Amino acid sequence: MKYLALEGSAVAASCALLEDGRVLGEFFVNIPQTHSQTLLPMVEGLLRTCGTAPAALDFFAVTRGPGSFTGLRIAMAAVKGMAMAAGKPCVGVSTLEALARNLTGFAGSAAAVMDARCGQVYAGLFALKEGRVARYPFGEDAAITIEELREQLDRMEKPVFLVGDGARLCYNRLSEGLAPGAPEEHGIRLAPPHLLYQRAAAVGAAAWDAWERGEAVEAGALVPAYLRLPQAERELKRKQAAQG
Amino acid sequence: MVIHTQGPAETQAAAQRLAPLLRPGDLIAYRGGMGAGKTTFTAGLARGLGSTAWVSSPTFALVHQYDGPVPLCHFDMFRVTTVEDLYSTGFFDYLEGGAVLAVEWSENIEEALPEPHITVEIAIEEGDRRTITITGDERFL
Repeated sequence: MKYLALEGSAVAASCALLEDGRVLGEFFVNIPQTHSQTLLPMVEGLLRTCGTAPAALDFFAVTRGPGSFTGLRIAMAAVKGMAMAAGKPCVGVSTLEALARNLTGFAGSAAAVMDARCGQVYAGLFALKEGRVARYPFGEDAAITIEELREQLDRMEKPVFLVGDGARLCYNRLSEGLAPGAPEEHGIRLAPPHLLYQRAAAVGAAAWDAWERGEAVEAGALVPAYLRLPQAERELKRKQAAQG
Repeated sequence: MVIHTQGPAETQAAAQRLAPLLRPGDLIAYRGGMGAGKTTFTAGLARGLGSTAWVSSPTFALVHQYDGPVPLCHFDMFRVTTVEDLYSTGFFDYLEGGAVLAVEWSENIEEALPEPHITVEIAIEEGDRRTITITGDERFL
């Protein structure tokens, strides 16, 4: 089974060509340029470089969220367009699960975190054990504060690797008031730079498992998974001191 | 920085002179009611940043983008008051896009405005006179 995986949930964008979970090729950029300008040219270049015709693809995979509103929609629309034209199915995977997959083979835990703005992060929490990535029962994708994340970290197997475009933000906030090196002593680590961001190859790995579980859908049924922030955080207008 | 203008042409010219001070990633938060001249001011910014496009109010589209040497994204937050609303305008994505952002009705998204930002307050004076107060960093002293 040959398939294409697309990732555009944040600033980075990437695409990968895989066969039965094995990566044949991957293009990745991490520049502040809109995915509408980078993603499809990368797909075209990747397929041409790998000598694979679009018609040879069996299905299409994409991160369905959480992430940037614009980015998710661009990547998903691209996948839907290609899948619909080719008459092939799609697989949507959690952005945070795909991020944790970057750390397959590590031991400990992965806290996949993305900056959700307004003092919140999107977080998904996973155990890394014996070459597997398994979600903690309390680790469902959610928008939480970094303080809430700090409490969750106490429940996780150490070391905990922070991964994702919110990893540095969380690492710095969790380090506040601690001596240099103290987060490491507490078992909190940053994922290595080359594994820190969303990668289409990892999306492809998660998508292969989903495909084997029979989770493929037709293009029209694929929908983004936006995460809502808690009610208290939704209002953006500063409260009036006194009503008149 | 305080600028006094009389008529839309002067307001636009003032903004055009201000534009070279701006850098990619700057956010301008407008303060001022209907008819103060926020869109006129933005038209001047677009000219000054190198766009030749015709600038209109983004009331219905929520955001207009003007490409030039430094792109300008012009938002209208009049009907945007929650995180979900704001998220679905793509606002957070534009913050990292290397453009100058000009935001009308910024009062509505006060809790989400990045720090630091530049505030442009346009006060309506007698007739078509305006007092424009710009606050930000040392560029606008």
